[in-house]
Amino acid sequence: MTVLSSLSGDLASIVESAGKAVVQVDARRGGAASGAVWANDLVVTANHVLTRDDNINIGIGGDSTTEATIVGRDPTTDLALLRLGKKVGSSLEWTGADGLKVGHFALALGRPGKTVRAMLGIVSALGDGWRTSAGGTIERYIQMDVSAYPGFSGGPLVTVEGKALGVLTTGLLRETTVTVPTSTVKSVVDELLKQGHISRGYLGVGIQPARLPSELRRQTGQETGLIVISVETGSPGEKAGLVMGDTILAIGDKPVRHWDDLLAALGKDRIGVAVNVRILRAGQVQELKTTIGERH
Amino acid sequence: MSVLHQLNDEVAALAEKVKLSLVQVRCGRDGGAAGTVWHPDGLILTNAHVVGGARPRVRLPDGSTLEARVLVRHTSLDLAALAVDAEELCPIPLGDSGALEPGQFVLALGHPWGIKNAVTAGIVMGAGADYLDVKYPQRLVAVNLSLRPGNSGGPLVDSAGRLVGINTMMTGPDSGLAIPVNVAKAFLKEEIGARNS
Repeated sequence: MTVLSSLSGDLASIVESAGKAVVQVDARRGGAASGAVWANDLVVTANHVLTRDDNINIGIGGDSTTEATIVGRDPTTDLALLRLGKKVGSSLEWTGADGLKVGHFALALGRPGKTVRAMLGIVSALGDGWRTSAGGTIERYIQMDVSAYPGFSGGPLVTVEGKALGVLTTGLLRETTVTVPTSTVKSVVDELLKQGHISRGYLGVGIQPARLPSELRRQTGQETGLIVISVETGSPGEKAGLVMGDTILAIGDKPVRHWDDLLAALGKDRIGVAVNVRILRAGQVQELKTTIGERH
Repeated sequence: MSVLHQLNDEVAALAEKVKLSLVQVRCGRDGGAAGTVWHPDGLILTNAHVVGGARPRVRLPDGSTLEARVLVRHTSLDLAALAVDAEELCPIPLGDSGALEPGQFVLALGHPWGIKNAVTAGIVMGAGADYLDVKYPQRLVAVNLSLRPGNSGGPLVDSAGRLVGINTMMTGPDSGLAIPVNVAKAFLKEEIGARNS
């Protein structure tokens, strides 16, 4: 039984050690969730577990608790940053996903109660960057073969060396637990520390993808464009002269075929940039102009 | 690859060994669940929720089916002790559930969805103190492995092949709860004065 017992002991050691930097995050009724120590008195967690803005209690092992304030939230990546009333003694070593392979063992850690909990699986799927339905950019797609138990969201996914690969959440994809990788967590944390929120470009239109008429498909080489179904008052879209029924074909000369393309055109680096907006209106292609605004 | 192969072989050998202590428990026309041999002279442990009403029938590892007597049934602990007229059954060496640590490897045997003598593996998730159903007054062992109807009453063993729990309920697709073996020991000692070996 030596290899098995050895494995068993090793797993328990990793859980015990990394588990010291996993905290309980109690900010909702009906069950607390988890958080992971980022550094010093900063804890990252899943945004969706914070259903209120105050009265956030953090369990730091055994019966010890402390209060926390929200530094900032990013609903598009389902991350949030908390500052604790006091430092947690332990920290996690956060690592990138470069050496990670499908089939590697990984442990999901959580602390929805007083004690650390663990789930064991393998890395089931790895992918490149992807966009969440709320428009966030996640730099790697990381999925384990086990679905996390309620209360694990906000906790870390750790390697067999006890290093954190990212933050677990059930709030980004239906019925699936994914891990937001360290690189994305770092970007979000850095921006939240700097300004308390994440900047995004903003046009102010509600859209729906639509198939282009055959002649325009030939002309533009695009199958679809985005029909404007609403325009927010005072928005950059309104200032450009966009009205309901216009079909957006391109922004800043980049084709806009799907929701993803619109988000790409409204990246952080485009805030304040003056752009052309090519539209199809009543069968005619027209060029409008606007300056991309900022959404909080 | 050698450690992985060794691991494979060890887990398979462990499963084979524990199967000798796994029985099927059928009550009336119900789907059927599992039971764990506790003593060579025919003492079987299972969940209380598995037996009730009709007299249970137990199918032993050698294929024979016997009628069982319900010696004691404790609904709030969800444990029941059955007696069958058999000898030389194989009990599993008893472990210490108090020493269980989150992360350590465990194996569960039972008959999930009627698949006989099925094995699932995973780790101890944590101590169950934080999320008890009111039905279970004792601490339960939370395990990160798949349990389904038909696993109830079956054994949970550690990497050394010792009995550490009686599988009792599923709480998610990859998680479940087991009654700690220390609770079962105390239950049997009190209810029928069984000696723990």
